[in-house]
Amino acid sequence: MRKNFLYSSIKDSLFTGLIALALFGPIVGLRTVAKNEVLVVSPKWFIVLVIVIVCALGRFLTNLYIYNRDQKFGIQSTIGKSITNFLDTKGTQIALSAIIFSVIFPFLPFTDRYLMDIAIMMLTYIMLGWGLNIVIGLAGLLDLGYVAFYAVGAYSYALFAIHFGWSFWICLPIAGIFAAMFGVLLGFPVLRLRGDYLAIVTLAFGEMIRILLLNWYQLTKGPDGLTGIPRPSFFGLPFKSFPDEGEQTFHTFFGLEYSPMQRIIFLYYLILVLALITNLFTIKIRRLPIGRAWEALREDEIACKSLGVNPRNTKLTAFAIGAMFGGFAGSFFATRQAFISPESFTFIESAIIVAIVVLGGMGSQTGVVLATVFLIGLIEVFRDFESYRMIAFGGAMVLIMIFRPRGILATRKPTITLQKKEATK
Amino acid sequence: MTEKLLDVENLTMKFGGLLAIDNLSFSAAKDQITSIIGPNGAGKTTVFNCLTGFYKATAGSMFLNKENERLNLKKFSDFKVAQKAGVARTFQNIRLFPQMSVLENLMVAQHNKLMDASGFTILGLFNAPSFVNKEKEAVEISKYWLDIIGLTHRADDDAGDLPYGDQRKLEIVRAMCINPHLLCLDEPAAGLNAKESAELNKLLLFIKKEKKTGILLIEHDMSVVMEISDHVVVLNYGKKIFQGSAKETKNSPAVIEAYLGTEE
Repeated sequence: MRKNFLYSSIKDSLFTGLIALALFGPIVGLRTVAKNEVLVVSPKWFIVLVIVIVCALGRFLTNLYIYNRDQKFGIQSTIGKSITNFLDTKGTQIALSAIIFSVIFPFLPFTDRYLMDIAIMMLTYIMLGWGLNIVIGLAGLLDLGYVAFYAVGAYSYALFAIHFGWSFWICLPIAGIFAAMFGVLLGFPVLRLRGDYLAIVTLAFGEMIRILLLNWYQLTKGPDGLTGIPRPSFFGLPFKSFPDEGEQTFHTFFGLEYSPMQRIIFLYYLILVLALITNLFTIKIRRLPIGRAWEALREDEIACKSLGVNPRNTKLTAFAIGAMFGGFAGSFFATRQAFISPESFTFIESAIIVAIVVLGGMGSQTGVVLATVFLIGLIEVFRDFESYRMIAFGGAMVLIMIFRPRGILATRKPTITLQKKEATK
Repeated sequence: MTEKLLDVENLTMKFGGLLAIDNLSFSAAKDQITSIIGPNGAGKTTVFNCLTGFYKATAGSMFLNKENERLNLKKFSDFKVAQKAGVARTFQNIRLFPQMSVLENLMVAQHNKLMDASGFTILGLFNAPSFVNKEKEAVEISKYWLDIIGLTHRADDDAGDLPYGDQRKLEIVRAMCINPHLLCLDEPAAGLNAKESAELNKLLLFIKKEKKTGILLIEHDMSVVMEISDHVVVLNYGKKIFQGSAKETKNSPAVIEAYLGTEE
């Protein structure tokens, strides 16, 4: 038994090495360099060899210690289990302390401009993740084009703010409504599609919006992007160092010294509030009939029909509401950057948001936060080593998939209970 | 003869060149259990799929007689048969929502009335009292049915974790939660042991007596069919070959021939 197992894992890891060779051989090994204005191949077989050995060895070790449930040979991953337990039971406490931490974060002694920027970026991704969680986690519709709604929100905010001079608080709902409309627009043709086919169409939709933005020069200025998007004001009080004659600004109104950090802190709280609204809304709507219908639709569409649940309306509302939050996040992005171009809305953004939702554990709100901190934080840590960023990103995903195949937080709590289970525990 | 609930007239269903149901007419009475039996591939499930809107029948008509109206089921497309006409069904291979709790399964079945009460979600978002009351009512209804099938203590567990027999029963009461006029059961006793199918019989008789719901039953388990059916329709190759009481069916030469073949 033991010998057999060892034999089969060796065979398996050799096979893995072979696959790695087939993949990395041409990609890494046969590198082309320009020499005297001609391309020549400069082989890098040593690196390929290292990669192949790492892959085979990694596979061998995971076979032995993770996939092997045999008591004698495999070690029970006690650490993994205790982490799981901790996350499952202390979910609410973790969430609460995270919220408290994020509220006081701007005033902590070590917080500087750089950390604030990262925090704002993370919160934007968290909000996008929470929005997409409605579509993927609850309704089970794999949407790979979510960035399209982010773009629609950003552009509609920018265009309304630039051309009509409307304030942030008017443009925000408009941007949300526009994005929701695009959600319905995408929803209609894909009503009958499921799984892979749905993913392909949504992917194409995301690209279509980006290409549309790139080519509709009269409206969107194409690749030049939109500049001069108005910055948000603090309920009518702008953040300016040199106010015009007789103008009240944030720092003069409150009698403070002007500092550029004031606007950053305001933006930080703005996205924090927007993200928390998204979260509260999702938690609440999950417990309403529509939320339950979303989850039922994810579980079994045919059973839903047999119970008289309208699958069309249910799917469209999921697309629309998910898109709406994408649109809100988009308008925040536009007002923060003051400049947007189609460059910011590429497929990789969609992929990152989907990764956040899936790795966090589908449908788990806290999971989205953990996955964002993990993935975006990792990308930031590797900012100085630009070329290794994607390796780290991919490696993180592989690790999560090995240790927590159903996502970091995969437990689902019922939306309604008969007995008070917590009380007995 | 009691009041007729369902009239199927000259129902025909073709899949390309294959004639799955051939000019089938039968009726089912209110507060009676009507069984549809027949060898494998006789077209029983196809009849169900036509009735419940999953297939569009090629020809013929199906009428459901409610208190004072006669509904043509052909006019309703898929989910509307359940929503508007009140025809509920279960499936041959159980279709619960496995990762949702038992109670949630029953709440989804009451989706339409809760959705109305939640004022397209807006009233629900603000915990409007009218919605909260309606939701409490729905929980009470769910609890009532769980008490009947004896699963109240497992209400908060995932439906997928229940034993097979309990899943069958849960699927039936979930269908009952939409408050149907006609309940279509596709092989509810498949895979049940003797004790479980006795419980199933009790449940179906209870539904018939107390809820005055007409039941249409596809079943292979003859102990179930013979014990509880008031009326039996026998299909073979999409045609009706016999209809009558359970006892008459047992002794019908045509039925015996369909199941066992002719004597040499």
